[in-house]
Amino acid sequence: MSPATFTVEVIVENKPLARDPEGETIHRNLILKGGYSQVTGVRAGKLLRMNVEARSSEDAEQLVRKLCDDLRIYNPASHICQVRVLS
Amino acid sequence: MTRPIIEEPLSLTLVEVQKPNLTDEEVQYAIQMLQREPNEVEWAMLEAQWSEHCSYKSSKPLLKQLPSKGTKVLVGPGFDAGVIDVGDGWVVTLHIESHNHPSAIDPYGGAATGVGGVVRDILSLGSRPVALLDPLRFGSIESSHSRWLFDNVVRGIADYGNCIGVPTVGGEAEFDPSFERNCLVDVVCVGLGRKDKLVLGEARNPGDLVYLVGGRTGRDGIRGASFASKTLTDKSDTERSAVQVPDPFTKKLIIEAILEAVEANILRGMKDLGGGGLTCGLAEIAAKAGTGIEVDLNKIQTREPNMLPAEIMISESQERMILLIREEDERELVNILEKWELSFAKIGHVTKDGLLTIRRGNEIVAKAPAKFVAEAPLAPKSAMRPRYLDVLAKVPEPALPEDLGQTLIELLSSPNIASKEWIYRQYDHEVGIRTITKPGQADSALLRLPNKRSLALTTDGNSKQCYVDPYWGAMGVVSEALCNLVASGAEPVAVVDHLQYGDPGNPEVYWTFKEAIRAISNYLKAVSVPCVGGKVSFYNEDSTSGKAIKPSPVIAALGLVEPKTPRILQALRKEENDLIVIGNTSDEMGGSEYYEHVHKLSGGRVPRVNLKKERTLLRSLLRTLRSGRVESIHDISKGGLAVALAEMSVQGRKGATVDLDKVPNKTSRMDNLLFSESRSRFIIETKPKNTTRIVNSFKRLGIPASKVGSVSDNGIEFLAKGQAMLTIPMAEASRAWSEAIPGAMEATI
Repeated sequence: MSPATFTVEVIVENKPLARDPEGETIHRNLILKGGYSQVTGVRAGKLLRMNVEARSSEDAEQLVRKLCDDLRIYNPASHICQVRVLS
Repeated sequence: MTRPIIEEPLSLTLVEVQKPNLTDEEVQYAIQMLQREPNEVEWAMLEAQWSEHCSYKSSKPLLKQLPSKGTKVLVGPGFDAGVIDVGDGWVVTLHIESHNHPSAIDPYGGAATGVGGVVRDILSLGSRPVALLDPLRFGSIESSHSRWLFDNVVRGIADYGNCIGVPTVGGEAEFDPSFERNCLVDVVCVGLGRKDKLVLGEARNPGDLVYLVGGRTGRDGIRGASFASKTLTDKSDTERSAVQVPDPFTKKLIIEAILEAVEANILRGMKDLGGGGLTCGLAEIAAKAGTGIEVDLNKIQTREPNMLPAEIMISESQERMILLIREEDERELVNILEKWELSFAKIGHVTKDGLLTIRRGNEIVAKAPAKFVAEAPLAPKSAMRPRYLDVLAKVPEPALPEDLGQTLIELLSSPNIASKEWIYRQYDHEVGIRTITKPGQADSALLRLPNKRSLALTTDGNSKQCYVDPYWGAMGVVSEALCNLVASGAEPVAVVDHLQYGDPGNPEVYWTFKEAIRAISNYLKAVSVPCVGGKVSFYNEDSTSGKAIKPSPVIAALGLVEPKTPRILQALRKEENDLIVIGNTSDEMGGSEYYEHVHKLSGGRVPRVNLKKERTLLRSLLRTLRSGRVESIHDISKGGLAVALAEMSVQGRKGATVDLDKVPNKTSRMDNLLFSESRSRFIIETKPKNTTRIVNSFKRLGIPASKVGSVSDNGIEFLAKGQAMLTIPMAEASRAWSEAIPGAMEATI
């Protein structure tokens, strides 16, 4: 199989039970003050979208997962990191 | 090259209250004092409060040796910060903290919350935080892990300080492999307030209401204090519960709200919540005044549902303060807090009974005397002189380098000596417009005070010397701090200390700790300067290698500059001015950068301090600086005479020629004369007409001083017996000194 280009997204956010001052501020000062009380919570994070050459979408995901760990794209002590391949 | 992978951490660790992390003696003591078995909430509280971090149980008796009184000291050790009277109704507050363990696993967040913590200490006295200084210690800059820590720590400090509008005006950085896994991230904060508005951390008035203000209470940071009281293991990367998320914008609101309440005279007591959380805050504020406090946990706003009472009591969630007010001032406080959009809750009141009573609704979940909770039984440790010291004392002298010019270049590019601009250019050092002398320009930072005086601030540490000789190394650190102050025209007023060591249960580690306190205490008594507070951080060791960090006492010193004192910097100013060296140079090479960096040699005789002469020296130097006859000055410390002169030269873009035969010394070798780090020495630049007067003023007091050369428009040149002994062009010195740290940090991962 010849390599194809995959779009892989990396989402880094604070751990679920840790605080997220940025999300809290957007929620409190924009959304609630703007009258959208149906929104009960906001979490902010960082999205990296990478174009990756790989043989399969599994390979692409694995490669990006590895680089996130190796290069400390996130700190496992404080963040969660999701990697997903866009179809 | 790939970096070591950090394991994906496990999910949140809940408190394991069943088995308290206390010694058998402490468990026995608790049962005996309460005359019953404490319940699980009480065990959790005792575990947090009796941790080394909160209780100082291994260090308290030794810390009492330090002199703490002085005419200008209003509040000394035992409170959130020391308070100094700076005249005209103004006070300056001073405190030092560290966030070593959190920074080792989350360098950005750990360093930022470290700044947040010390800022709260300053605030809780009712003073406005006006300056930060950051003494930092990392492993070798060659290591990618250390660079990752270093880079993120500096960004964490910079972002937090910049967001809350407090300038970072100084600090220092030291690199040594012993800090590879356990970096040391210290933060000094200085506050400014009015004497008549000081608030103390004491619950003096039964009936006062207890308000909890700021962030909501969550499970983050649970057991932070006990986390800091044990050795870091590989597993710590996965123990995410001690990681806290910095929130500088909430902190800024807290600062402004609290200061408005201080201004309104409604705060009767205040305490920041740091290590040990609510347990520590409530127990200490009540115990200090001999009162009690009753609180209802149902009133506390929690961030997560179903938090257990024990979790609420020991949570170390950031950005929280306890305020005590009279009932009649409640409306006014609430108005202020609402104006700043801070969350708050009235959680209880001060009582007469001396008990900490923790309720959840009508159910009492914990009840114990506040004094009993606040004061852990002391745990004195045994001390034994480490055997390695004898080995280090006898290391053979290294061979004399063939090219001393090359050696000087090597020293200038050592990260311990090289320009720290890479660090401080990331900091906002001017916000608040009080900064007079910026980082790197002089031996201490200068800040404008509202009463025409100014404040000089400096921090110093030297783990390499403290390792080779725990006593003289520690004394050298205090001496250097005070020399730095005086070289900026300031009269030393007070210091705070931060003593960072390995496991105190190791008698050899404990011995080095004891020696440092003895040294600092002897020095401060000799120069009559008090220690107004400080901090002890134990368990700084890397269990993978099983090694403790090198002993790292760090001193932050504060001095006052009288109005009209000329502002004198390090940079050389004018060709043909004379250069004078004050103080004697000896064969004191132990722990020197020359031995450690150039020869990779640890050992030898560490520089000593002449306690009989030190006070006279500091006084006469201050007199000389005030006279206006000094053009530039630099203390001689890391890298010795040659490095000090090169630094003055590079900063002033002027050359200098020094005749080594004229330098007051008792050295046996040329390299020792150039690079010895003998204490209490200075280089002074002066106009030729003032030279004799300055030299004689020191000689008269028995302090060696001599004209050694002059400022030139050439490179840096040292002569001996009429011959050039060491010559380097300015551009080369400048490049080595300026580019070492940025160069290392830009290196590929």
